[in-house]
Amino acid sequence: MSDRKLENELGYWEEKIDELDKRRTDAAKMGGEANVARQHAAGRLTVRERIGGISDEGSFREVGTLAGTGTYDDNLKLEGVTPATYVAGLAKIDGRSVAIGGEDFTVRGGTSFGAQRRKGGQGGYIEDLAHHYKIPLVNLIDGAGGSVTSAKRRGFVVFPGVDGFERSVELLGEVPVISAVLGTAAGGPAGRAILSHFSVMVDGTSQIFAAGPPVVKRSLGQTITKEDLGGPKIAVNKAGSVHNTAATEEEAFEQIRRFLSFMPTNVWEHPPVLPVDDPVDRCEDALIDVVPEKRTQAYDMKKLVGMVVDKGSEFEVRPTYGKAVITMLARLGGRPVGIIANNPKVYGGAMDADAARKQIHFMELCDTFHIPIVFFVDVPGFMVGLKAESEGTLREGMRAVYTAGQLKVPTLTLVIRKCYGMAGMATCNKNDIDLKLAWPSGEWGSLPVEGGVAAAFRREIEAADDPKAKEKELEAELHAYSSPFRTAEALAVEEIIDPRETRPLLCEYIALAQSRLKINLGPRSRAGVAP
Amino acid sequence: MATTEVTSEIIGSVWKIVKSQGDSVAEGEEIMILESMKMEIPVEAPVAGTLMEIKVAPEDSVEEDQVLCLIES
Repeated sequence: MSDRKLENELGYWEEKIDELDKRRTDAAKMGGEANVARQHAAGRLTVRERIGGISDEGSFREVGTLAGTGTYDDNLKLEGVTPATYVAGLAKIDGRSVAIGGEDFTVRGGTSFGAQRRKGGQGGYIEDLAHHYKIPLVNLIDGAGGSVTSAKRRGFVVFPGVDGFERSVELLGEVPVISAVLGTAAGGPAGRAILSHFSVMVDGTSQIFAAGPPVVKRSLGQTITKEDLGGPKIAVNKAGSVHNTAATEEEAFEQIRRFLSFMPTNVWEHPPVLPVDDPVDRCEDALIDVVPEKRTQAYDMKKLVGMVVDKGSEFEVRPTYGKAVITMLARLGGRPVGIIANNPKVYGGAMDADAARKQIHFMELCDTFHIPIVFFVDVPGFMVGLKAESEGTLREGMRAVYTAGQLKVPTLTLVIRKCYGMAGMATCNKNDIDLKLAWPSGEWGSLPVEGGVAAAFRREIEAADDPKAKEKELEAELHAYSSPFRTAEALAVEEIIDPRETRPLLCEYIALAQSRLKINLGPRSRAGVAP
Repeated sequence: MATTEVTSEIIGSVWKIVKSQGDSVAEGEEIMILESMKMEIPVEAPVAGTLMEIKVAPEDSVEEDQVLCLIES
């Protein structure tokens, strides 16, 4: 090779590498110093800081780094690149690979990027990465979606669904999908946030709605702030549109890491088993005192569950929505389990429409990712009254029964106190391991005796000299039949256990279920029309 | 000084008021007991402080999100 040829080749390569470096540098600058400072002043991190905050240090491998809008001089030489409004790539969380990306609010407020191919959001390349590699998707949402100005740039308006949600929907049956709402999300990004297995938003700096205050003002004449319209008080606590609230972005990242620690990488794999310090044979004496002798007194179900599962392993999903039921991921002997527990402190644990919706989502989550379910049951039935009927409790409650009837994942039902009626049926799964355990405090039936006596013996009660006394007498007579031991005699409940034995027994049964789980890996199919 | 509204999470009625106006309460301490679905549902202090005003009386009906009392802390 002559010296001249070598010099030419080096020049050629230097030029190419210089251009690559410049393009990479411009990408790293995001929307420029002023916009980054504005993002920080609003109490928000940039998308690159967010990715760094969630993933293992140095693990982010960016994909689509150079996507953006280049500007060129008269000789078509590059002047600079405004990066795309979405940063995407692969990273590791606790050593496991994920696809991760988010809107870059510092570039045009994170509005959709008008390239030939989308990087993020519905139908974006980030979704293809998660789909093809079969790895979880973490979506960091901070954008308002489409803008009417893009029609002018493009020359036409897009038809809804051209960049559709098909891949987003497909992913829900394949890999864990996480949404973090980290700014104001409206339109497409708001919709994208909902199509997830777990979503979290930050108190004070994030809001989510189908449409924001200007559209509400124009459509309905109502004036409302974005916080009042779509802050966590509405979106998380009332609507249940987003699952959890975090106090800071860093706490949201921690919640995402915690949620993923229970999830398999995809539906063809087992959820991860971790080493455990808490002995599986630990018998908790305090459990004997949790349930009050007086049947009408409430008790702390979260405390009860905390005494049974691996210490410190609980991660509650949706703690502020549908509070009559508690849903949490936890571990028993290091193995992930989904806990569904009725909360006697809210309507005595009666299932209302919100609680039913919450239970349905959680059952489907556990079933999809092969996480065995343990029900801690204390449910007097569906919630009653005009409000409950108006909110569709009967339909939502029966949807819970329908979903429980389609579960394929091993399920243990542990009756702590009440298990009545159709809401009680939504705590059992006859398709797989159908094991019903009960504490001696357990009671069950079609409906509680107190509610049923007045209706079933109306004439007899009315005809009595002292109707009140007669009603009490009949209740006492029927209560004698409701001893759980009499049901156990008939093997209609498989075992009555000492509360103190709860942890060792549950750990043993969950360990046993592992062989069963192995033959049931893969996607779940759901048949029929949900009520 | 901040005032915290203690609200009812449920529809029901007031069964028993355990604390009195002016009492100091610890976080998680029982202030009153409501009755709903034939159950006694305790209302616990969300924050520690002084019970400034009790807005309901025994046997009153309460609605979801109704303010039951105020705590100053």
